[in-house]
Amino acid sequence: MRVSTYLKTAAASLLLLGTSAFAQETQPPADPAAEQGGLEVDVVGGISAPMPIAIPHMPTPAFANTAAGNTEMLGRQIAEIVTADLRNSGLFRPMDTSALPRVSYPQVTAPDFGFWGGSGAQALVQGFVQANGNGTLTVGCYLYDVLAQTELARQGFVVQPAQWRRAAHKCADAVYARLTGEGPYFDSRIVYVSETGPKNRRTKRLAIMDQDGANHRFLTNGQNVVLTPRFAPNQQTIVYMSYVNDQPRVYVYELGSGQQRLLVNQPYMTFAPRFSPDGRWVLFSMSVNGNTDLYRVSASGGAPQRLTNAPGIDTGGSYSPDGQQIVFESDRGGSQQLYVMNADGSGQRRISFGGGQYATPVWSPRGDNIAFTRIGGGGFRIGVISPAGGGEKILTEAWQDEGPTWAPNGRVIMFFRTAQGSGKADLWSVDLTGVNERRIPTPLDGSDPAWSPLLP
Amino acid sequence: MDRAEATGFGVAVAGHAALLGVLSMGFANAVQPPLMNAPIEVSFVDEVGLESTVTEISTEPPAQSVAPELGAPEEAAPEPAETPAPPEPAPKAAEAPPEPKPVPKQAVKPAPAKPAPAKPAVAKPKAAAPSGKANETKGSSLGELLKGIGSDPSPSKSVKPTGAVMSNQAAASIGAAIQRQIQPCADRQVNPGPGANRIRTRVNLRLNRDGSLAARPKVLGQTGVDDGNSRYAARVADLAIAAFVGCSPLRGLPEELYDVPRGWSNFTMNYKLPG
Repeated sequence: MRVSTYLKTAAASLLLLGTSAFAQETQPPADPAAEQGGLEVDVVGGISAPMPIAIPHMPTPAFANTAAGNTEMLGRQIAEIVTADLRNSGLFRPMDTSALPRVSYPQVTAPDFGFWGGSGAQALVQGFVQANGNGTLTVGCYLYDVLAQTELARQGFVVQPAQWRRAAHKCADAVYARLTGEGPYFDSRIVYVSETGPKNRRTKRLAIMDQDGANHRFLTNGQNVVLTPRFAPNQQTIVYMSYVNDQPRVYVYELGSGQQRLLVNQPYMTFAPRFSPDGRWVLFSMSVNGNTDLYRVSASGGAPQRLTNAPGIDTGGSYSPDGQQIVFESDRGGSQQLYVMNADGSGQRRISFGGGQYATPVWSPRGDNIAFTRIGGGGFRIGVISPAGGGEKILTEAWQDEGPTWAPNGRVIMFFRTAQGSGKADLWSVDLTGVNERRIPTPLDGSDPAWSPLLP
Repeated sequence: MDRAEATGFGVAVAGHAALLGVLSMGFANAVQPPLMNAPIEVSFVDEVGLESTVTEISTEPPAQSVAPELGAPEEAAPEPAETPAPPEPAPKAAEAPPEPKPVPKQAVKPAPAKPAPAKPAVAKPKAAAPSGKANETKGSSLGELLKGIGSDPSPSKSVKPTGAVMSNQAAASIGAAIQRQIQPCADRQVNPGPGANRIRTRVNLRLNRDGSLAARPKVLGQTGVDDGNSRYAARVADLAIAAFVGCSPLRGLPEELYDVPRGWSNFTMNYKLPG
């Protein structure tokens, strides 16, 4: 279902414009000297810490019952979701929403800067929830800079009542993007492998959920073991590997219809699939007579095209965001290392040279980094490296972290962490800077996460 | 070395040691000559003054001074302006609130500001500015009474300040005063991400005489923006403005250096995150 979003402009009729904090626009004496060679003041200051932000409950202009609850309750819940999203990013320190004063509907566009200036918050998010006559909801979202006393952003979202959480994520995305300069990522989903059962006989099912763990549902029944699910750019198709009749093969799952189909009809083991950024191709590995190489096949199926032919195992291919290059892992040099090549298989070159092994490379949607699993020194760790091969940085430190996947904005990485001894696995996320490690809630154990692109 | 040589060597060593001791005592007890001048504090400025900062002597006669107002003296100055009316009931979301009217900086007659429903606090009229006529007393002192008396009215309209010039030292001093007042708000700005501290933002600031902002701060440009931090550039510009606005109005700046060349009526702030 598509959420209709619209960016408000001055011409839009729905929302009123906040007034300028600068009531007096007087012109001081013209002073050409000030433009050239005038008085200059250098100020250096700032902190690297989560930004204090206030997100009070969102009022409603008129109380109304909807299929998702009444508008007053939704206003509270949306503020709490925005709060949770921003807190989970690690870049914000939201104030306790329940302790904030009640904001009236008219105040949404005319905040009491006098009060908020003394509250310790640097930014303020206000909004409203309104039931429309056609059964939809309008969620207004306003961002203010408390110190500068200005409005920084405003957006309005018209959603079906069942999609109210998405309006909250969109609001959080607008705030996050405006205040950090990063791209949005809260309105996105995760597909992963849900695991349960004893260590030697695990039931593995495909499951999908919002990035914050809400709206969880299982896609497969666990009859066959599944691994490595990956989203198509359209978010409606998932490609994954399944052991049907003990034959590991790449399959495609359509979220809309729930149908599954075999992608490559070959009598060989196929695995490690991943879509190209334009969604036209699927990159995968195939073992033929003991030699594993990278291939690509049309997303609708057909004859695969071979891209590598080195002896050994070439696998784990991932396209660059422009679709021009592919990063993959290969043991052709003796140990598993990362290599980059052009999308047609030409120009293969090694980019990792550290000790141990490198596996599961994934190109960032921003294009500036490649995430990987580094194996060695008694553990598995998540790291990043530039596509040219420099600037390697290890982000996590645990017994077994593996399988990274990028948030749509390329700032956050999700992976799965296996506990020593029990073998239980969980989904975790970490900021690109290596801070803010956070466990993602799942009903059962979880592994092999894949982050969707941003939802439309 | 025979015995005589050893004895001689020992005597020489002892003699040198004694001489060193005597000289050391002499230096320690030496009386320092008195200083010709008492020490003074100096402050260093970035630029060498290449132009004279001596008061410029104007050959133009000053404008004729006139009495503040014709009419009978009053006991006290009138109120600068009406108190802004309490805000109207808040408008509906679909309506645009009236923008607050700009108030002329040196209004001859301070018009009462129109109440702005959204922001009554910031819509205060600036009638209380020192240059505002409403603040002037009326004809109570001899000096005031003598103003305008003369058979030969001056044709000059010069309003040039008498003698105030921004020396490099004064500029450094005012710059430091501004920086000190802005620093607490600058220190509250949150670094948006890695590499943002390489960005330097130039902001033009225009102030009223009372230290309040006369216009929205204007970003003149940024340096240090590269592929790694360009996504943070807009946010750093926000931070630069917020740092200043959060700690304005400025206080205690010398009024005589307000609108002289390089005065603080119109200056540039260079803001950068630390690191």
